[in-house]
Amino acid sequence: MKLITKTILYYLLISLPLLVIALFLSYTLIRSEVRDGTDEGLWKEKEHAEKLISNGQNSCLNSNSLSGIAADSSGGKGYQFKDTTVFDKLEGEDINYRMLKSHYESKGKNYRIIVAKPTLEEDELLEGLYSSLLIILGFLLISFFSVNWILSKTLWKPFYKTINKLDNYDLKEHSLQNFENSGTTEFSRLSEALNKMTDKIYTDFVQQKEFTENASHEMQTPLAVMKAKIELLMQSPNLKEHDMDQLQGIDTSISKLASLNKALLLLAKIENNQFKDVSEVSLEQVVNKVLVNYEDLIQSKGITIHKEIKKDIKLKMNPGLCDILIINLIQNAIRHNQPGGKINIVLENAYFSISNTGAPLNIQPEELFVRFKKNEASKESLGLGLSIVKGITDTYGLSIRYDFENNVHTFTLSMN
Amino acid sequence: MKILLIEDEPELRKSIKEFLYQEGYVVESANDFAKASEKAGIYDYDCVLVDITLPKGNGLDIIRQLKKANSKAGIIIISAKNSVDDKIEGLDLGADDYLPKPFNLAELNARIKALFRRKNFDGNKAIVLNEISIIPEERKVTVKDQEVILTAKEYELLLYFVSNKNRVLSKNSIAEHLWGDDADQIDGHDFIYTHIKNLRKKLLEKGCADYLQTVYGIGYNFKVN
Repeated sequence: MKLITKTILYYLLISLPLLVIALFLSYTLIRSEVRDGTDEGLWKEKEHAEKLISNGQNSCLNSNSLSGIAADSSGGKGYQFKDTTVFDKLEGEDINYRMLKSHYESKGKNYRIIVAKPTLEEDELLEGLYSSLLIILGFLLISFFSVNWILSKTLWKPFYKTINKLDNYDLKEHSLQNFENSGTTEFSRLSEALNKMTDKIYTDFVQQKEFTENASHEMQTPLAVMKAKIELLMQSPNLKEHDMDQLQGIDTSISKLASLNKALLLLAKIENNQFKDVSEVSLEQVVNKVLVNYEDLIQSKGITIHKEIKKDIKLKMNPGLCDILIINLIQNAIRHNQPGGKINIVLENAYFSISNTGAPLNIQPEELFVRFKKNEASKESLGLGLSIVKGITDTYGLSIRYDFENNVHTFTLSMN
Repeated sequence: MKILLIEDEPELRKSIKEFLYQEGYVVESANDFAKASEKAGIYDYDCVLVDITLPKGNGLDIIRQLKKANSKAGIIIISAKNSVDDKIEGLDLGADDYLPKPFNLAELNARIKALFRRKNFDGNKAIVLNEISIIPEERKVTVKDQEVILTAKEYELLLYFVSNKNRVLSKNSIAEHLWGDDADQIDGHDFIYTHIKNLRKKLLEKGCADYLQTVYGIGYNFKVN
């Protein structure tokens, strides 16, 4: 629910009972005032009647049908105000009256005096009150809406702006430089807090990215030293077979560490957007080039390749990254293939797909693109190839999908 | 052949120096920018190996200095950064090759030799090793004047062995030379063995001596006496 609607609802919730109370209070107060007035008038008439009686004139009193002076034999005393209703034939409706019954003794005779006044005013008063309160309610509603509307358009404007900015915030770009500083203290504080927060997040993010890159860089030199020393040691004529085995083990591990480091560095560079040059790359050429490079590997595994390639399909991206993308996908299809298996490559306008035969995965498909998640069967794999693929596709807003059906793994790259 | 090695990491400098001595080169080294600049300014070298990130300076400036002085030295950049920009800038400045760290010394050796061949310092277009002769320009190999038809990978393999003759080459080093950055993606080294077997067979068929020796556990040695 919008803030405006909520505010108005709350206002209404509070003002409705208040209005009812106000209605009740003003009704009772005004009615009692009016009644006092009526009663006073009746009292005066009664005194007037008593005077008349004392003077011996008891014939003419008020004009209405209820009022009158009559001889009384009941011996009642005192007076009594009373509300009563009389049916008016002319008007065809009940009319409320206020009447005063009193007893009067004059010259040994008892009289009963009744004076009455119609209380039309009172009903009208109530009606008037009702309608005026309704009008007030209407005015209140209109003013709530308009005030809130104006408030939200002006006072809340910076708030909505801030929300829009947050919505469009992209950490990689750090797109919003500043949340605006409005005149309102609360919003200024909000903007300040958001500025601080996003700046901090962005700095941390950049540092994190730089850390990976720097750490990988720093590792290259010691790795180079180790590699060189091992190579020199290998040349020694005095090595026994056992020593050779040890050296081979170290050499392989160093090579693996070096490749790992290289892959991490590449990932960091992709994520840091360091491949800025973009040109039109012909996918067909890249695919053929990579296949030629892996020809012997493919042959040695006895894999047959089937290609359905549409010509002249170009992708706008960094040529180096395009190579890496295709290399990783093809390598993946070779590595996880079975001896004598098949690779099927399809290049269409809208997509590039590569599928290979092979045993089902023993990890969740969604974990495929996560760093260091790899199928248990592939010990040699670094577990970074598909993360690199994902990193590249993310950079260019392409999407990559994995499917498995009838023992065929398929990666589809959508190019729309 | 005189080589200037500009590298600030002492252990790496020591190892490269030792290796190049073994290969019969005269090696001088510099560990920072000032010394490197001074040496490059005074002496003539056939080859300069330059690290880009140096204390108190940038290796690229050394290349600029050499090119400004019309030096004929071949230049190979050895860098831990492996950044495309550095590579492009270095090559644009006139460097001849770019070798990212970590590298195999045998690979460095092969690159230096290829550089010398390109610069034609020997005045000789063919590499001759007993009965084997290789003409790199034509990618042609002959044994006792009969041509040996090799696949691209076999040819590269032979050239690598010849460049690093009498040295033990590990399978890793061979794989990295043949497949470059993608070597790590190759499972096992079984099919290096296949290439070597084929190469040996083709050479033996033409009456070449069996120079290729298997070094147990590690790799191979192209032994020429």
